[in-house]
Amino acid sequence: MLKENPVLRIENITKRYGQKEVLKGASLLVNQGDMKILIGPSGGGKSTFLQCINFLVTPDNGRILLDGKEVNHNSKRELYAYRQKVGMIFQDFNLFDHLTAFGNVQIGLMRVKGMGKEESGERAVSELTRVGLKDHMKKYPAQLSGGQKQRVSIARALAMDPEVMLLDEPTSALDPELITEVLAVIKDLGQNGMTMIMATHQIGFASSWANEMVFMENGVILEAGPPEKILSQADCPRTREFCSSLADLYGDSR
Amino acid sequence: MIQSLTAIADALPYMLRGALVTIGLVAGAMGLGLVLGVTFAVGQVYGNVYIRSLVKIYVWFFRGVPLLVLLFLFYFGLFSLLEINLSAFTVAVIVLGLITSAYQSQIFRGAILSLPEGQLKAARAIGMSDVKAIIFIVLPQALRLSVPGWSNEYSIVLKDSAVAYALGVTEIMARAHFVASRTYEHLPLYFSAGVLFMIITYLGTKALKILEERVKIPGYS
Repeated sequence: MLKENPVLRIENITKRYGQKEVLKGASLLVNQGDMKILIGPSGGGKSTFLQCINFLVTPDNGRILLDGKEVNHNSKRELYAYRQKVGMIFQDFNLFDHLTAFGNVQIGLMRVKGMGKEESGERAVSELTRVGLKDHMKKYPAQLSGGQKQRVSIARALAMDPEVMLLDEPTSALDPELITEVLAVIKDLGQNGMTMIMATHQIGFASSWANEMVFMENGVILEAGPPEKILSQADCPRTREFCSSLADLYGDSR
Repeated sequence: MIQSLTAIADALPYMLRGALVTIGLVAGAMGLGLVLGVTFAVGQVYGNVYIRSLVKIYVWFFRGVPLLVLLFLFYFGLFSLLEINLSAFTVAVIVLGLITSAYQSQIFRGAILSLPEGQLKAARAIGMSDVKAIIFIVLPQALRLSVPGWSNEYSIVLKDSAVAYALGVTEIMARAHFVASRTYEHLPLYFSAGVLFMIITYLGTKALKILEERVKIPGYS
């Protein structure tokens, strides 16, 4: 039953930059509570695909349906409302440098959701507590470690009550020992039922609880399926090749 | 020597009132320049092709024509043609403000462009409109980065304000000239005028330095 009622239906997204066709018709169905892992070589279109999903990059063609309703990204009001429902986590955090961790989470609540100072403040505290940063609320981004910054950015996205979270290589810019703390937060989100699409190379972590792995190369989704299948017995030879090199790098994932 | 000191002492209260006029000129011009400069900078960075070209032409014009020419052009030319009756002081504030807005727009533009682009993306990603993102995310940071450049611009506008003398604005220079031509004490009076400018420059840049420290983002080098 769930399969017929996807949260997010992404249909035939294409994107071209000049001569280069970055996305050649990528489609994806995302159900409530799904954790989808997007893998593939750099430059394969993962990041562009994720950014097209919340229209940070405007797709040339294709459509996106949230809860069965097509998103009209030409209507600003509709676009802003949609983006609140689809949170985005970036590889390099993109925190607002002039605001404290607390301010980073609060500003969206105040300036986008129009909440008052007190209500938004309480919410910001609770989101920061959720990602384990209650004691670092008053710090500015430049005073936080990479892992802490990424957790602030997760709290900032969560504060907007998203239905889906897009994570664009959330741990790629982090020192190895900081990766764990961020992954723990992401895993916790997943266990609490958050729907997520994550581009990552951390397949060992991801495969343990993701329900679908999507292999993308040259702007096309070559193969999708359960992690066990993609990682060990993918149908497409290119997927197998890529996964075995990832496994060499990050340890056996099975 | 004593005669010179007496001349300075006699003229001082009169000159100090001129210093207030100078400060008024500079404050008005810098304020006008700030408002217009920020607007033009945002237009030049985020505007469409028409807005961008318009700002470029504006900057090109006000950076290209000498202050004295602009003062005469507006005071004796434009405003009398339009039959707008403005005092010499007001016209000087407007002209100095328009010129500094051209320079200030480039200070702010540079600061905006130096910000990491990802922050604007992050603001959009939480559903913020571009206008709000510029007001709440971009400008607070760009303005902080602009303080040193703005301080430099302040000292330039302060010294340029002496040219308002040509319209008969009774600022420091006009008063020094008026007294000197009467008492023939040119050296001590122009010297005092110079010192007054130096003091105002010093106080202003000092205040801006304090501002720069106070608005600095912690942990940011």
